[in-house]
Parts: sequence; structure tokens; C-alpha cells
Amino acid sequence: MNVQEYIESGSIESCVLGLADQAEQQELERMCAAYPEVRAARDAFEASLEASAMAGAVAPPPALRDSIFEKITQPESGSLTQPAPVVELPTPEAYSGAGWKKYLVAASVVLLAGSAALNIYLYNRYQQSDSLYKDLLAQQQQLAENNSSMQTRLTDLETDLSRIKNPNIQPIKMTAVNNTNSLTTVYWDKNSAEVYLLVNQLPKPEPGKQYQLWAIVNGKPVDAGVIDVEPGDGLVKMKNIPSAEAFAITLENAGGSQSPTLTAMYVLGKV
Amino acid sequence: MTTANTYTEPELVQLLRQKEETAFKYLYDHYAGALNGVILQIIPDQALAADVLQEVFLNVWRRMETYDASKGRLFTWMLNIARNAAIDMTRSKAYQNSQKNRELDSDVHITSAGSNPSLDHIGLSKVIGQLKEEHRVLIDLAYLKGYTHEEIAKLLEIPLGTVKTRIRAALLQLRKLLT
Repeated sequence: MNVQEYIESGSIESCVLGLADQAEQQELERMCAAYPEVRAARDAFEASLEASAMAGAVAPPPALRDSIFEKITQPESGSLTQPAPVVELPTPEAYSGAGWKKYLVAASVVLLAGSAALNIYLYNRYQQSDSLYKDLLAQQQQLAENNSSMQTRLTDLETDLSRIKNPNIQPIKMTAVNNTNSLTTVYWDKNSAEVYLLVNQLPKPEPGKQYQLWAIVNGKPVDAGVIDVEPGDGLVKMKNIPSAEAFAITLENAGGSQSPTLTAMYVLGKV
Repeated sequence: MTTANTYTEPELVQLLRQKEETAFKYLYDHYAGALNGVILQIIPDQALAADVLQEVFLNVWRRMETYDASKGRLFTWMLNIARNAAIDMTRSKAYQNSQKNRELDSDVHITSAGSNPSLDHIGLSKVIGQLKEEHRVLIDLAYLKGYTHEEIAKLLEIPLGTVKTRIRAALLQLRKLLT
């Protein structure tokens, strides 16, 4: 770049007005030292800037003058013969020396802000994980409960199955005697007199009514217990019956009856 | 109470380095108004501007030994101290809070250089006011508000290279208007 181009580049003005970076400032110093024309251009711009500022002067408050002189004559901040502690202002000359402190402060502020943001982020993540963990804990407990109830049901079914497999047990199929499609089965162990009932299909009783099992012994009905089961339940132990010719179920008032209501007989099965 | 003496600039600098109070009074009487005028361009509030001016003169007094005459005139050095101090003030939290109630005022200050006749029909601001709009905005942002080229590029949504070119053009325009 020749001298005239440099003068017309705007670099001089940029430096004088304090808008240039360090490299540009140093270039101007070199150019001024090497070329009197550059130096002259700089001086001219500075002089016109000063003249313009002088023309735009605004008188400060009159009290300010005394206030300033009072401050410089007060030896409060150390002896005046020694340089007083100075609050550094960032002038272009000071950028190189004091700049790094500024950046250090800025960097620590950025780091602090970053660390705070990270804390917030991690705290949110922690809360999410915590709530997820509690959900999983609840699910796990639910599964454990389900498992335990399945175990109970399996044990019941295994017990039922072992009863049915007992060679002493006689199954007695009880078929419908009315038009309800009802079906039940009695598993009867003649040796031990134990009676188990399986409800395959029975209409849901009206409120206040309950089914009752009867054993027919020597032509007479003997109460074998009221039935609380619903279709789908397993075997239910009824009253012991040592001997019988047949079994029947009638619908009675809740709690059962002394003698069966024969008109409300649902199923009958002969031994 | 103005001092009658006059000094050449090297004499003045020499005396100020010796902590000569008479020289300092001369410096104040001679330059306080000009610096105050520039500070008021950046901080329109007169009381706050006076605070900055006081800080500037105290720093000039204390830091006289750091002034290097080979790098430029004494006034240029003081002008840069004043501009930096004023821009620092505009970036302080206290100042920004105080400006929240005056946003309308400062908007007027940004968009119209002719809002205050006592300040704007003379001196530097008059010159800035004569610049083309696109140049004036850049000088306002770069010089009076102290934004970096990168900040201006972001603010005006124009490429960084364009900002640099336009600021150069604005500065050359400014020089023509000043001389």
C-alpha cells in the first residue's frame, strides 16, 4: 500500500478516534515514523477534531472545577509525590496491559454463568430421573403384587387338579332341569364323604336369593350347603355327605332353606 | 477564575508531569468544556456527564506519565480517556437502570441528531449530523456507543466486511466535513 492509499484508507481516523485495534495502531505509528505525509495527515485530523470539539464545548457545572481541585490536592489516597493508586480506565494505550484482567473477569463471569446453567440442567435431569425411578418402583411393586396373586391362584388350581386326579373322587355331572343351560359338577369322595362343587354355568341369582346344594339320600333332600361361587371359580368344598343317590341345586332365599323349593330346581345329577 | 498563562503543549505536558497545579487549572479551563461537549454526546444527562468529566480529569492528573506525545496530541489522548469513561458509564448497571425510564429520550437521541439545539448545532455533533444516514448510524454506534464491528454487524444485520468498509467510508467523510 502506498502512502497516499494509506492516508485515504480511513486508518488514521480510526486510530485517532480510538476505534482501531492494537495492530492498526502500531501500523499507524510505523507509518508516522517512516512518512512525514502520514504524520502530517494525522496531525491535521487531530487538529480538526480538537477544533470541532472546541466549537462544541459545553460549560460543565461551575462547582465541578473546585470539586476536582479539592480531590487532587487532598493527599487522601497516598502521597502525591508517588503515583497514587489509579483506577485504570481502558484507554487505547491500556488495552494491552489491563485488557487481560477484563477478559479474566469476563471469563470468570461466563464460567460462573455456565456452571449455574449446568447446575440447573443437572438438577432438572435429576428430578426427571427421580420421578422416573419412583414410577418404576411403583410398577415393580404392582408386578410383585400381581405375581403373588397369580401364585395364589396357581396354588388353588393345583389343589383343585390334585383333588380331581384323586382316584377315589367320583365326578357327578349335574345337568339343567329347566331351560337355563345350567351345568355344575360335584366331585365326591365316598371314602372321606368330602364334597366339592364346580360351577360350570349358573345364572346370576337375583338379589336376596342364593343357590343351595342338596344331596338326595334315601329319596329325601339333605342340605349340602349354600353356594357363593360364580362360574369360573374353582372347586368349593361343601358339607360332607357320606351317602347319596343324587345331587341337586335349587334357588332359595339368601341363607338357604330347610327343604328345597322344587319348582326352583336348576340342575340334577344322579350318582 | 481563568488562568492568564498560556503554554505550548510540550510545556504543559512537562508541568503536568511535575504535578504543577497551575498547569492543571489551565488544562481544565482550556479543555473541560470541549470534553464535556463530547461526553454529553454519549451521556445526555448533565449531572452524570459531570461525574464522568471529573473522573476523566482525575485520571489525566494521575496518569500523566503514561501520555506519549509521539502517538498523538494531548487533546486526542484526553478525548479517548473521556470517550472510554463515558461509554463505560453507559454500560454500568446503575446507568442502564436510570435509562429505562428515558427510553423515548434516548431513542430520539439515536435517530435524530438534531433533538437538542444547545448541543447539536455546533461542533462534533453537527459534523456527525451532516453525514449520510448510513454513515451517521455507524459513527453513532461505533464512536458514541462503543460497539465493536461484530456487534454492529449483528445489530444492523449486515455482513462484517460491509460494516468495516462503511465505517472507513464514514470516517473519511467525517474527515472531509471536519476540515
